[in-house]
Amino acid sequence: MTTHVAAFRLPVRITGFMPLIALVTLVAALTVADADFLTQRSLTAALRTAAPLIVLAAGATLVVLCGGIDLSIAALASLSTVLLALWLPDLGALATPAVIAVAATIGAVQGLAHVLLRIPSFIVTLGGLSILSAVALVVSGAGTVRVVDDSTVKWLDLYLGGYLPMSAVMAFVVVAVIAVVLTVTPLKSWISATGYSESAARLAGTPVDLVKVGAFCVSGACAGFAAVMLVSRQFSGGPTMADNLLLPAVAAIVVGGTAITGGHGSVWRSLAGALVVTLLRVGLPIVGVPSAYEQILYGVIIVVAVALTLDGSKVSIIK
Amino acid sequence: MSVPALEVRGLVKHYPGVKALDGVDLVVRPNEVLGLAGENGAGKSTLLKALVGLVAPDAGEIFVRGEPVRLRSVVEAANHGIGMVFQEQSLVPNLTAAENIVLGSEGSAVRRGVYRWDTMRRLAQEQLDKIGSDIDPLARTDSLSFAERQMVEIAKVLRIEERSQHPPVIILDEPTSVLESKEIETLFAQIRRLREFASVVFVSHRLDEVLDVCDRVTVLRGGQSVGEVATAGAVPGELHKLMIGSTGSDDHYHSGAASLVAAEQPRLSVRKLSGRSFQEVDLDVAAGEIVGIVGVHGSGREDVCRALFGAEPTTAGEIRMDGKKIDLPHTRAACAAGIGYVPAERKIEGMVGAMSVADNMTLTKQKARCTGPFVAPKKQATLVDRWIERLSIRTPGRDTAIGRLSGGNQQKVVLARWLVGGDIKLLLLDHPTRGLDIGARSEVYRLMRELAGSGVATVLLADSLEEAIGMADRILVMSDGRVVAEVACPNGGKPSPLDLVKEMV
Amino acid sequence: MTLTSAVATAPRRQSRRGASFRDAGPPVALVVIFGIFAALSPQFRSVDNVQNIVDAAAVLAVVTSGITFVLMMGSIDLSAAGVMGASALTVSLLVANNRNDNDYGLLGIGAAVLLGCAFGCLSGLALVLLKVPSFMATLGVSAIGLGVATLMFAGVQPNITDTMLESWAIERFLGFSYLAWIAAACILVGWLIQRYTRLGRYAFAIGGAEEVLTLSGVRVKPYKVAVFTLAGAFYGLGGVMVTSQLGAGLVQAGDGYDFSAITAAVVGGTLLTGGRGGILHSAVGVLLVMVLTNGLVQVGVSPYWQGGVEGLIVVAAVAAAVIPQRRRNQVVK
Repeated sequence: MTTHVAAFRLPVRITGFMPLIALVTLVAALTVADADFLTQRSLTAALRTAAPLIVLAAGATLVVLCGGIDLSIAALASLSTVLLALWLPDLGALATPAVIAVAATIGAVQGLAHVLLRIPSFIVTLGGLSILSAVALVVSGAGTVRVVDDSTVKWLDLYLGGYLPMSAVMAFVVVAVIAVVLTVTPLKSWISATGYSESAARLAGTPVDLVKVGAFCVSGACAGFAAVMLVSRQFSGGPTMADNLLLPAVAAIVVGGTAITGGHGSVWRSLAGALVVTLLRVGLPIVGVPSAYEQILYGVIIVVAVALTLDGSKVSIIK
Repeated sequence: MSVPALEVRGLVKHYPGVKALDGVDLVVRPNEVLGLAGENGAGKSTLLKALVGLVAPDAGEIFVRGEPVRLRSVVEAANHGIGMVFQEQSLVPNLTAAENIVLGSEGSAVRRGVYRWDTMRRLAQEQLDKIGSDIDPLARTDSLSFAERQMVEIAKVLRIEERSQHPPVIILDEPTSVLESKEIETLFAQIRRLREFASVVFVSHRLDEVLDVCDRVTVLRGGQSVGEVATAGAVPGELHKLMIGSTGSDDHYHSGAASLVAAEQPRLSVRKLSGRSFQEVDLDVAAGEIVGIVGVHGSGREDVCRALFGAEPTTAGEIRMDGKKIDLPHTRAACAAGIGYVPAERKIEGMVGAMSVADNMTLTKQKARCTGPFVAPKKQATLVDRWIERLSIRTPGRDTAIGRLSGGNQQKVVLARWLVGGDIKLLLLDHPTRGLDIGARSEVYRLMRELAGSGVATVLLADSLEEAIGMADRILVMSDGRVVAEVACPNGGKPSPLDLVKEMV
Repeated sequence: MTLTSAVATAPRRQSRRGASFRDAGPPVALVVIFGIFAALSPQFRSVDNVQNIVDAAAVLAVVTSGITFVLMMGSIDLSAAGVMGASALTVSLLVANNRNDNDYGLLGIGAAVLLGCAFGCLSGLALVLLKVPSFMATLGVSAIGLGVATLMFAGVQPNITDTMLESWAIERFLGFSYLAWIAAACILVGWLIQRYTRLGRYAFAIGGAEEVLTLSGVRVKPYKVAVFTLAGAFYGLGGVMVTSQLGAGLVQAGDGYDFSAITAAVVGGTLLTGGRGGILHSAVGVLLVMVLTNGLVQVGVSPYWQGGVEGLIVVAAVAAAVIPQRRRNQVVK
């Protein structure tokens, strides 16, 4: 996997394998703790849980690779669940692409605000988070919106061959498509250059602003798709349904080893990171730790993982 | 004779690929104003940094009042009585002048973390009185004029007197570069006053100033002290000769390869270009011509260069390439028009250090490595390898991170970035040889000649006057944001650096 | 010569004018917005409602006082929600409550504030020792705080029975609740710290020119940690105040306060890049935010929009603040 990604890149640093090593170690540890863990049933359940997280993290990874951050993904996904639930009766099969398109547009608008108004990305998306949550509350009337006829989104909650969750397959497809598109086009080097050194990229004629807006747009679209997965599973949309996915998604990105300073990383890493985070989540009760520790774990993971992946030589003053 | 207030013997400092200091000697006597002169890259700034503990020398010794010392930080230097007024001012803009003056050594002005504004004001006033300044100590620093802020800095530096209990050594790094002539007069009066109780090291590009205010001048060249001149009766010419040294053989610049410029329609034509720091700049560059722009710090030439690439906003004027107007200011438009830019800050702006040689080389001209919208790995490999060979870039391979190459090879990759597309018409070179050793410089010069020979127009902001004269076919002199002179610089009829210096000040 | 100096002084004069505009802008905006709503809605201009606004502003004012110091340094703090949750649970379990026999009164409150300090300190240490950018460090610390709060919550809501703490939200002095007076005291303390202590002045200076401080031999790292610790204390107190309002300790005690506080500080004229603004600016910002949200509700806008309004004004305020210093090729992450 790693060599495939690295086709045009430098020899992968050892940190490139860290998320994989963590993943294998976790599976091994959980199997030791509970022999029943390594069964088809629990693995299927874990994959199904991980799917929306993978999609969310993959999209936001692009923004992080450009050197920014998207804190609005979870709120955008929540809003998208509400929109999807509201639109399904009228639009039917068209509701899914419509929601993804709207989410992508919202992402792009945030990107434009970041680029044109020159506001730091975290403040734009923090503002976005707040605005999108408010919109979700208002359009949903602050309540859950039930889906009566879920025939058009049900396919996402099916199982391929009986045990491979369709949502996990689609999540994998999303990651693969993003990765391949980046690798076979100049986009990869544009994104890396923007993230590693924006001023150098700009002076090399890289369309930095366009690349950034594009990253936010994809991030938004991914949030929309994650929302479709959630609705297909819960038969409803809610204004805060995906809100608690923000921390796990950020954790997945940094655990995967994508540097928060930009440039270094990939969507594959975030896939691995999302699996690690999911396993931790489902694994905690197995080893007898109350799930209340989940939040603490996310917090610690984020801080430690960022500290480990940070390119300290790049920034002298860290605010 | 009395013990020198400060003495430097055989100071050496290596940077990767360059010897910034190569055994510098310097003596500062008590109550004297010593001038320090030298071209860019002569080692002035490294020497100054070593004197205030910002750079650790590799060899050599520093003596303060006869005692050998090791200076590891600004604070240690201050404790020994050495302080510097930095070129870029080192004041916190949103604090009061008084706070800035006592910053880092508040003493009785802060008790147990609590400010005593009265005491602080008094302490600051004492310092300001020393230099006879009437600045309000409680004024916010960013509400003061540049000259006033400079006075605050001097007052701040003078506080080291209290720390070391000895007459201080005050270093002034290019203090006049942004001052008006009247303010310069005040500053000079100030320096003469400082001489009563301190030693002063004065650094300036402007030789007339150096001669005016200093007792003695030490000249640096190539990281060595090459001469000492008593200023009484000296003329700038004498100093300048020392600074430049005997001009090396012209071969260094591959002048033999200089091509005759065909006088046709200019490739680049700039009319009345104005921006923040430059006004109504006119500039023509023909295909195959190398035009140098020279000027002191603050002349605006760097900004003009960036403006031509669309990386610096302009307020008026137009830029035409081969007669076609370019939209301003837009780097993408400039790239599309065949303009290439090699920035002075190579490590920050020129290259993406963590990316490979291949990625850096193809960053701009993506088409050169793509088939349709897709990257063609084979095409890229062939292309990159060809340029690595053509420019004899020494790298383990095209996938090596560019940050791991030497400076000269990095610069060649940055240059190659503009060449791989095969559509380059105009190169803007902003200090292309900065930080490179002699060998690498020579290779860059050769490359410039080769490109000029193939019809590429070049605008060169040279590292030194010597370089400008050696490479350029024509030189524009800029001063205070305007082009003040144009000097023809043909092969065989090169002007002397002095001719240019006359125009610069 | 003259040209150079004209170039050198032009941006400075502009920034001076900008500064005065920034200082005068928020209070003027406050008066104007208040005037508009007062004209539109009779309920809005009633004495009761003004009291309401001030009382409702109390917690936000305390939290904003804390975050202002962090913002002045040019850092950001997203940990308020987590810290407040942890502090709310701590205080509700330490004063008289229905879950255990503790009755530590003021001591319990002090412990909650200290816990806030500890969380702040943690953020600061992650920043200076691990070099984690502050928005990431505090995002993590916020999660840790929420986790700690959830652990203490343990599925059963602790209702407080401590009369003193309960009285804070109910009793009034000169027409305003005790909470409002506590907030006023916090602003005063914050102002004194900002004006008269090295900590406050250095926080300001770090935002202005951190490298200059280092060059002058000041070790900035301890001050950074101290500033985060100080901010943590304010959040801790904020958590206590919310508990007093709700009469119970909730994990979600600090929900939304992190963002509202940033909004208030930014609207008040504190720059996210640091080095400008201060406690008094933030106090005006808090009132602005509260008047705006209260006023919108009074004229019939759904209260759900509150977050949306805050989001819009924070983006607008930051964008407006960036305009004077906008330069091409400046990196914005």
